[in-house]
Amino acid sequence: MNASSLRSWFTPKRIPAVVAGILGVVVIGVILANSDQTQAIVLGLGGGALIAAIALSITLNYQGSGVVNFAAGAIAMYGGYVYYGLRVNGQLFLPPIPNPLAPIEGIAHLAGAASFSLPHIPVFITLAHPSQGTAAFGTFIQQPAMPVWAALLISVMVLAVMGLAFHFLIFRPLRRAPVLAKVVASVGLFIVMQAVIVLRFTSSAKSVEPILPTKPIRMPRGVSLPSDQMYLVLIVIAVTIGLWALFRFTRFGLATRAASENEKGALVLGYSPDFLAGVNWVASTVLAGCFGILAAPINQSIDPITITLLIVPALAAALLARFSSFVVTLAAGLGIGMLTSWIQLVSNKSWFPKANGSAIPGLADALPFVIIIVVLVLRGKSLPTRGSIETIKLPFAPRSKGSFPTTMILGIATIGLLFLVTPNWRLAIVNSLVGMVICLSLVVLTGYVGQISLMQMALAGISGFTLSKVADAHHIPFPIGPLLGAVVAVIVGLLAGVPALRVRGVNLAVVTFAAAVTIENLVFANPAWSGLQGASVRSPSLFGFRFGPNDAWTKPFGGGKGLLPNPWFGVFCVVVVMVLVLAVVNIRRSRIGRHMLAVRSNERAAAAAGVSVSGTKVLAFGVAAFIAGIGGALSGYRFGSVTAGYFGAIPSMIFLAYAYLGGISSVSGAMVGGIIVAGGILTTIFTNWLHISEQYTLLLAGIGLIIMAIQNPKGVAGAIRDGVHLVQRRRASTSDVSDSAIPEPVEATV
Amino acid sequence: MAMLSISGLSVSFGGKRAVDDFNLEVGAGSLVGLIGPNGAGKTTTIDAITGFVPSQGAVDFDGTDISGLSSTMRARAGLGRTWQSSELFDDLTVMENLQVASERVDVRGFLRDLFRPRNDDVSELTKILDSLDLAGSADALPTDLSHGQRKLVGVARALAAQPKVLCMDEPAAGLDTVESQALGRRIRSLVDGGLSVLLIDHDMGLVLTICDYLYVLDFGQLIAEGTPAQIRADSKVITAYLGERHSDDHGDEHGVDTAVPAAPGGTPAVGGTTDG
Ligand SMILES: Nc1ncnc2c1ncn2[C@@H]1O[C@H](COP(=O)(O)OP(=O)(O)OP(=O)(O)O)[C@@H](O)[C@H]1O
Ligand SMILES: [Mg+2]
Repeated sequence: MNASSLRSWFTPKRIPAVVAGILGVVVIGVILANSDQTQAIVLGLGGGALIAAIALSITLNYQGSGVVNFAAGAIAMYGGYVYYGLRVNGQLFLPPIPNPLAPIEGIAHLAGAASFSLPHIPVFITLAHPSQGTAAFGTFIQQPAMPVWAALLISVMVLAVMGLAFHFLIFRPLRRAPVLAKVVASVGLFIVMQAVIVLRFTSSAKSVEPILPTKPIRMPRGVSLPSDQMYLVLIVIAVTIGLWALFRFTRFGLATRAASENEKGALVLGYSPDFLAGVNWVASTVLAGCFGILAAPINQSIDPITITLLIVPALAAALLARFSSFVVTLAAGLGIGMLTSWIQLVSNKSWFPKANGSAIPGLADALPFVIIIVVLVLRGKSLPTRGSIETIKLPFAPRSKGSFPTTMILGIATIGLLFLVTPNWRLAIVNSLVGMVICLSLVVLTGYVGQISLMQMALAGISGFTLSKVADAHHIPFPIGPLLGAVVAVIVGLLAGVPALRVRGVNLAVVTFAAAVTIENLVFANPAWSGLQGASVRSPSLFGFRFGPNDAWTKPFGGGKGLLPNPWFGVFCVVVVMVLVLAVVNIRRSRIGRHMLAVRSNERAAAAAGVSVSGTKVLAFGVAAFIAGIGGALSGYRFGSVTAGYFGAIPSMIFLAYAYLGGISSVSGAMVGGIIVAGGILTTIFTNWLHISEQYTLLLAGIGLIIMAIQNPKGVAGAIRDGVHLVQRRRASTSDVSDSAIPEPVEATV
Repeated sequence: MAMLSISGLSVSFGGKRAVDDFNLEVGAGSLVGLIGPNGAGKTTTIDAITGFVPSQGAVDFDGTDISGLSSTMRARAGLGRTWQSSELFDDLTVMENLQVASERVDVRGFLRDLFRPRNDDVSELTKILDSLDLAGSADALPTDLSHGQRKLVGVARALAAQPKVLCMDEPAAGLDTVESQALGRRIRSLVDGGLSVLLIDHDMGLVLTICDYLYVLDFGQLIAEGTPAQIRADSKVITAYLGERHSDDHGDEHGVDTAVPAAPGGTPAVGGTTDG
């Protein structure tokens, strides 16, 4: 490379990548002076290779079809399980396929014919049988059912079919949709894959045997590296070189690049963009899946979460490479892997930040978050540039009329129900009420202002943990405790939200998801706070009256001792939901609501109209964090404890799905969203009446989210509203034909 | 006294100069036109004045230098603009579009609205809609309106903020001749009422009849300025612009590198009219 081509290569756009590269080299140089640290860095290569492969898969998808695929890590994890099922059990598992006969069976069961059974769609296809092997140390060791090559071959074929299915069923229908709709669909895909694996294999880890040889390779200065990690690195380097050459030298690669700029470009080269997108989907799915298979043995086990969440460092690597350069992606992926491993090592050192005497876990996981924030904030602009405006098409946000009486009537009816129904329905109502609060927070932030947040449950958790660890520990009484929690959630929400002011659309989804992962690892799983077992929350009491869900209660009018959960806790939840509902309705009806929707529609035009775009967003982040914080406190009371698993990054994604399904831009949508949350009213109907397992809720939520993203409808609440309008309009047109005024869109119910 | 004056204004994209060392002045209560072929840099000039692209040079508004202010602050100071492609808030009704521009939010008002939303007075806004023949559309959504009506709502929204200076980017594009003339009269009467206006339009008939003074841009450079009579007579303008228009009167799809202005309603190649 001569000087002039170097000068043209080095544009301002490349500064972050170059700076990161130089920093990386310096850090590595300093550390290499120290051999145990060198060892740690080298041991990060295997993880780095997996991160790089997932990042390459993301980049490939982006080039091929403009999708930022949040599910790339989940695809790698899924591939690992496909291989595991084949190799160990000789079985190919199938995702749940809806059985048209199931409802008939369910109705028969409902009618009392419990033994009535119709044919079921198989769950596994058995291809080989495991043979019982030799007895060693007194236990039978099961021999793998299928040779490695056969299991690998079938896995690759399955992954290729999956790639095609993703293209044809999900992303091809979305090809002209805004990038954000594609992100929502990929979040749906993430949830679906995760749910399928949990359904088929449970969420506990399975031990896996190595595929690549694991003989340690000796290197200078006493450093050694298991050979499988070395092979992984070599493979990912080979893949990168292959992709680089493919995109640089072949018509196919050229056409994909051209298509990613504009569709005509590919047509000129004789390829249909659609074909290119399909091929790239197959390639990226096989790539991620194969590395999931090959890399799972590094940790000796596979579980549904670990590899899935590598999406965060992989996104950081892909962002550093601007979703375009394969070589930079590779370097960034390997670098993040090695740095992570190094941070884990130095966490044993005395100077490393400690909590309760042990090193703070999760600091290594915070690294990708820091990279993402720095890169995006450096590159971001506080207003989008001309021509780059990209907003997700969100459903219409109606102005409600008559919501006060409706809220009152529904609230009082719910309170009445709480005392009448059996305990499991009471619990379902409470779960739905808590879910409604979280969905309301998404209505404000995503529905009204168009800012996609994948961290609302993490903010809820911040509040729950504050309630447990600060308020309870210092005997701060009831109404102040949860309010304090909500205020702390607001502070954290603003800390994460303020850098997000320069970041929009897909990138905001990336930032908030990385923030949620970081909060989960750094705060919730922090031994100083709770560790994995959770932290207890004392039940609320006011003037000596205890109304936690597990506090004993007596029925009114001398009815004797009532069954738990305590309905008065439900009453408390109803009151909270009613207050928040009215507040969110009022936001939509007042000035701030109009400003929020203006920002959602068009940031540049909003600024030209004198709206403070940043101020409006900050306010929305704050209000949404406050509402989520209230929700977190409620769920703390509901369970009597707060745990990391309930409030992490994945639950945040899942709640976005519920809110989206219900109808993300209206308060009534949040009500529907609450009804469909896991453990809520709908799942209780499923389990109690239709005998459908609760585990299917997540699966259905994920599928629903994908359908929502493709069809762009207004959610369940919107559909109901449209139905009501249609009926009203029919009536109006039959009674008064001359009335042609455009009916003002008004929300029929709350 | 000049309400708005820019001096040495330059904007570049990548190495390309879209506006080059441009000086312009809009006097109080005057109507100044800015014309030029497609891609000349007219929209970019307005973007720079209103703070939507980074630029070099000074922008003085009402006696103070505003080049350090954000778009929002410039708008609040009384510098309004309209957009070439309307850019309405499609999720809000027409009246709500206007309300966004006329209302300010503060924290105390917000907290009060949470519990008891105000019923904001919209009588002033109704008058603005009336004056632009939009009275019947107050509760319609922008997407239900015709293209011409959408453009008018864009103007109404800018007026709702009660600006001192209004920069209008092709407000008449997409209007028919009658509508266009009515809009011209309306703009003229606003100016006679004290508003200062910087008007971009391709409708030469309109611009040459209503403006007090004109600037002509081509390839980012000022090629002429003067009263409409002077511009009509300017040979450079005639060759670069008007002459060709008279000999070759059609809208050009790829007008960026030709000097032919798009016919009214034609698709400008730059800045993408999305709602045409
Ligand atoms: N964001 C941008 N990035 C790069 N180039 C741009 C950008 N915005 C405008 N340009 C270029 O700047 C030049 C001036 O464009 P501008 O839109 O200001 O012209 P215009 O006079 O408004 O034209 P029209 O009559 O078509 O509206 C054009 O060549 C255009 O391609
Ligand atoms: Mg223009």
